[in-house]
Amino acid sequence: MNLEKVIFGFFVLLAATLNFGFFIGDISNSALHNVYELLAAVVVSLITTVLKFGDRTQIGAVHLATSLVADLQLVCAAVVWAWATKISATGLTEGATASVVSLSGGALLANLVSVVLLVVETASFRRS
Amino acid sequence: MRHVLRVFWQQLFGRDERARGLRNWHTSIAPDSATSTTFFLLMRRMRVPLITLITIFTVSVVGLTLVPGQDAAGRPAPMDVFDAFYFMSYTATTIGFGELPAAFTAAQRLWVIVTIYLTVVGWAYAIGALLTLLQDRAFRQALAWRRFSRQVARLREPFLLLAGYGRTGELLGRSFDALGQQLVVVDKAQDRIDALDLAAYRVGVPGLAADARNPHHLGLAGLDHPYCTGVLALTDDDEANLAIAMTAALLRPELAVITRTLSRTTAARMRDFGSPTVVNPFDRFGDHLRLALRAPASYQLLSWLEAGPGAELPPRADPPQQGRWVMCGYGRFGRELTADLEAEGLEVTVVETTGNPDRSGGLPAGVQDGTAGAEESVLAAADLGTAVGLVAGTSNDVTNLSLLSAARRRNPDLFLAARQNRPESAPLFAALGVDSLLVPTEVIAHEVYAQLSTPLLWRFLQEMPAQGDDWARRLIERLSRDCGTALPPLWRTDLSPAAAPALHRWLQDGDARLGELLRSPEDRDRPLRVVALLVRRGDEVTVTPDPDLRLRPGDQLLMAGRPADRRAFEALLSDDSLVEYVVHGRHVPSGWIGRRLAGQPAGRR
Repeated sequence: MNLEKVIFGFFVLLAATLNFGFFIGDISNSALHNVYELLAAVVVSLITTVLKFGDRTQIGAVHLATSLVADLQLVCAAVVWAWATKISATGLTEGATASVVSLSGGALLANLVSVVLLVVETASFRRS
Repeated sequence: MRHVLRVFWQQLFGRDERARGLRNWHTSIAPDSATSTTFFLLMRRMRVPLITLITIFTVSVVGLTLVPGQDAAGRPAPMDVFDAFYFMSYTATTIGFGELPAAFTAAQRLWVIVTIYLTVVGWAYAIGALLTLLQDRAFRQALAWRRFSRQVARLREPFLLLAGYGRTGELLGRSFDALGQQLVVVDKAQDRIDALDLAAYRVGVPGLAADARNPHHLGLAGLDHPYCTGVLALTDDDEANLAIAMTAALLRPELAVITRTLSRTTAARMRDFGSPTVVNPFDRFGDHLRLALRAPASYQLLSWLEAGPGAELPPRADPPQQGRWVMCGYGRFGRELTADLEAEGLEVTVVETTGNPDRSGGLPAGVQDGTAGAEESVLAAADLGTAVGLVAGTSNDVTNLSLLSAARRRNPDLFLAARQNRPESAPLFAALGVDSLLVPTEVIAHEVYAQLSTPLLWRFLQEMPAQGDDWARRLIERLSRDCGTALPPLWRTDLSPAAAPALHRWLQDGDARLGELLRSPEDRDRPLRVVALLVRRGDEVTVTPDPDLRLRPGDQLLMAGRPADRRAFEALLSDDSLVEYVVHGRHVPSGWIGRRLAGQPAGRR
């Protein structure tokens, strides 16, 4: 058992599950989407990205790319949330909530690709 | 004015033949893994500091939103994530805007105390780790290599690859810089590359501190660059030079390769790969001394022309043509020189001062064998009173100097030749007043310069000894009268229709005399102060052509003259009206409209 692989798999999966947890529920109902879950998703996604640094393999490069996409989407979602609650005169409307959640939905897709890559990598690994 | 524009146009667009190859060029022998490995390593090493930072931030931000707070009016108002992140960002980076958006409660302050220490430590750790990595030797080297290879790849003019930037390299660098010839330098020692930066060349010379024996490093330095025109292997290590010559010959057989060596066996091994030009300074010094014995003025001219533009006319050495010479030191240099002197029919007494039994074993008959430091007894045995010349040719400058001074005391009329091994000793040899001094680095630099500056100069130097001593004396007089005692720049002029369009018609008439061309464009009664050293037509050459020589299209001239005269001469090549004036004494309008008004055909074009 490789501890590095355990940590890596843990964070990749955790990023996807947190993201999923935030995303699930009525898209325009802000009560169903906890901002702390978004924060956790952003943080874990960032950590996952850092963990993917410095991998020279082809699959490592794709991993990094998917993680960067997820980061971008989640940070955008966080910015939209901050804009809606702090700056916008109307506050966190249904439309703003829908934007935040749909952005995190895009990140979820990238995170799912990450998980698929992880599974593919594991399945294709043969002990020589 | 028009010729200026035309020259400009030609400079800008006229030499694009190699650019086609450039488009498809990429270094196939340069390593791409060495640099990228370092960058991946850098990213890997940043993993832990970055994750630590993210974790600390998260803990602080979440903690701050959970701690109860109150707004300005005293109502309970815990911070939200955005405010907490904003506060942590400026606190962690030690900027500290104060307590925003409202003054903190005691509970918040308690948590902030914890987070301040956490985050400041986290930042310090991450930034410290990053700075350490940036200071890392391997990382800096990777950056330097990447910058170097980018500089080389961007070169868009013919360049020479110089491996080994020692004393020779420095001398050559200066001469080539004066010619505007681009160089790329590889040297094993970092301080030599630093010296390159300090040398303040007019064109930027990319330098790499790497072992040139490695083909990858040569590839990085542009060995397979389409604009690379030659490789100079001038390190002080014969084996490295051999490896460089071999690499160049195998990967780019068409390149000109010049290498230096001190040994004949290495030279023979170098010649096994392609046809490199091998420069052996000892061998060349022997040849020069033989030339000086036979024709002092020819030798003077040779050393003047080889020294490069701006060199002062060297004094004419006058070695004794008859008599007995004493050769001190019988190493590689001594052997070469003894053979050369004997070939000139001179008697040579060899003295070996090292007392090395290996060497003594190979000494020819009649050799005096002395021991180190006992110059007095050795010189006494060599009977200096009846000798005419002495060569101090050991590999130790102190020994050479003491030999010279002891010899001069015994016989003040001796012709003294010496070998200088270290550049620092130069003032000592100069103070002693040596008649002929071998400085191997300078011999090599001059030789390489003569071969590469213009091909015609090399041809000229080959033809020169056959012309005789009187000819050389006259040429020196003419050069110093017309151009001063500092060597004027030499250049090649091509009389092909493409390079000299204005002269084409005149040349085709078949009665184009050289003397008619060398007149001042301002006043044709005044001669232009340039000297034609050589005319090449196909494979035939004429050395110092006389004014009546008839020129033909396609001839190549080797000219010498000061820059102002050169410009005046080169203006002739592309300006019809100047040619009309200089050759026929007619004033012709230079513009198309002017010619139409004057009722003349509007030029050839």
